[in-house]
Amino acid sequence: MLARTHRLRTALATFATTALVLASCQGAEPQELLVLEWAGYEAEDFWTDFQTANPEVPVDFEFGSTDADILSLMQAGSQADVFHFYTGWQQFYVDEGLVREIDTSKLTNWDAVPADMQALGQIDGKQYFIPWDWGFSSILYNTEQLPDGVSSWDVLFNEEYAEHIAMWDDGPAAVTVSAYINGWDETAITDEQLAQIEEDWIAQKPLNLHYWDSEYENLCPEVISGDIWVAYAWPGCYATALYEGVPVAYANPEEGRNSWVGLYGINADTDSYELALEFLDLKLAELTCGNAVSLFYYGCANGDVMAAVADPVLIEAFGLNDPSILEATNFTPPVTAEQRDAWTAMWTRVKAE
Amino acid sequence: MLGRRGALRFLALPPYAWLGLFFVLPLILIIAISFRPETGPINFDDPWAPSLVQYQRVWETASYLRLLGISVLMALVVAGTATLLAYPIAYFLAFRARDRAVFYLVLLLIPFAASYLLKIMAWRLMLGQEGAINSFLQFIGLTAEPLDLLLYSRAAVIIALVYVWIPFAALPVYAAMQRIDRGHQEAAADLGAGPWSRFWRITVPLSLPGALAAFFMVFIPTVGEYVTPSLVGGTEGFMYGNLIQDFFTSAANWAQGSALSVIMLVVTLVLVVVALRVVNVRRLTT
Repeated sequence: MLARTHRLRTALATFATTALVLASCQGAEPQELLVLEWAGYEAEDFWTDFQTANPEVPVDFEFGSTDADILSLMQAGSQADVFHFYTGWQQFYVDEGLVREIDTSKLTNWDAVPADMQALGQIDGKQYFIPWDWGFSSILYNTEQLPDGVSSWDVLFNEEYAEHIAMWDDGPAAVTVSAYINGWDETAITDEQLAQIEEDWIAQKPLNLHYWDSEYENLCPEVISGDIWVAYAWPGCYATALYEGVPVAYANPEEGRNSWVGLYGINADTDSYELALEFLDLKLAELTCGNAVSLFYYGCANGDVMAAVADPVLIEAFGLNDPSILEATNFTPPVTAEQRDAWTAMWTRVKAE
Repeated sequence: MLGRRGALRFLALPPYAWLGLFFVLPLILIIAISFRPETGPINFDDPWAPSLVQYQRVWETASYLRLLGISVLMALVVAGTATLLAYPIAYFLAFRARDRAVFYLVLLLIPFAASYLLKIMAWRLMLGQEGAINSFLQFIGLTAEPLDLLLYSRAAVIIALVYVWIPFAALPVYAAMQRIDRGHQEAAADLGAGPWSRFWRITVPLSLPGALAAFFMVFIPTVGEYVTPSLVGGTEGFMYGNLIQDFFTSAANWAQGSALSVIMLVVTLVLVVVALRVVNVRRLTT
């Protein structure tokens, strides 16, 4: 009887100890990270500080090709701990419960981010996203082919440059450009205005050499070769062309440039919150942010890094020598789900014509 | 013991399971998603009732159906051209290469090892305004300026796709020609038939099943092609496959993309069935 009781107690003790050990193991975060990114951003230069601080932590990447694609991947249950998207889409992630609030007190580089940039990642006073890369959208043009310069976004519709124009393959961008040209409120486009926009872009279609969807793959090479004279472009291609000695300029249209900011969020279901937080903090670190600027010609949210830019080409590309540039810049506003769907469907019809 | 039939069924189980998991199941999912009503990203936790609204939207958008027609025509041109150009290659391998047939077959298969994207990007260099073809044409004085239509056009898409598909098309034709009994050729020669007569009345009819297989092998995937049009098609070379890609990625409208996919699948199957009934292979080969 006593031996049987002893065996029972031993078994119970063993079970309890095992359960405690397993529970404590489950409390520890997995030491690996999965990032939902845009192609090209997996380059180690874009997360070098994290790699140096955590050489034993494997960082894997899965890719989305558009903001809509990344949102749909997150909605479909992506296991990514961290995801990257661009301004205008913040509300969707919060509404769908896909993102976790960020504890900025744990970010050692947070104070280097200007307040207005920090605000871009806030919804209802809560910090959900970290700004990282940023830039302008404007008209990149060849100054030899357009010696008089460019004063308006409507140069994209100028038949004089037929088959030497390249528009970005993006419906919301097309709506934005049309809103600028026509003086419409891009947050309140009516059905009649959208129908007009569709007609205008169908008429514009033959003027393009092609639509571009990858700045460095199918825009920059043809700007440099001289096949494209006028393009909807970001500063990366502008800086690349300047470095190649191509006679180009980046317009300040009378309607104003557009500006975009890339944001990172942490998946609401992540098991690696602390690791994800460290990843985002170190994205803002000097070397990583500096790489985005010096190697890929994108602006970075660390204000100290931007203030230290000395390369005259990059100063020109980012307009750092023009204190009034931001006053004349239109920042991408948030869009509603209905607008997003209507504008992308409109663009698909334009391309199908 | 399983017995012979049981053993065969057991051996067939893994490929059937693979097909079921990676072909049939995704197809069923695509068809199911096409009946969802959403116009944007789908929240799969939301309750829903099957709807034909996606099919209605496609029906009401004339440009989508027109693009499907254009894509079918382009696929017919690509399949026909690739099969025609592959036929003499297969004939050479089957009847002329003799001891070196294996060597030439390996040469034919080498392009398979190259990346598809690399091959298409090479065509961008070839067809560009300062590419090899334009440079040559200007060098020999045939043109004074670069031809715009060579790149970022429907012609560029067709040229690149024909190039990619020729090695694929040659294989079924070659296989059909290898099965031709040489005795028929010899008997015809003994009876006084000349080379062209033997070719048209023996080789061509008996190789027709292979040629048709090659044609459909090229036609079916080309209808839904989207990579080559996006690389070399420009704004003109947009195909139906690009439309589906746009709805899945740019618009994140999986429901509309799925409906477009199902329509393409049905149209392609109908065309293939009709073509097989019109071209009675048995009648041609007997």
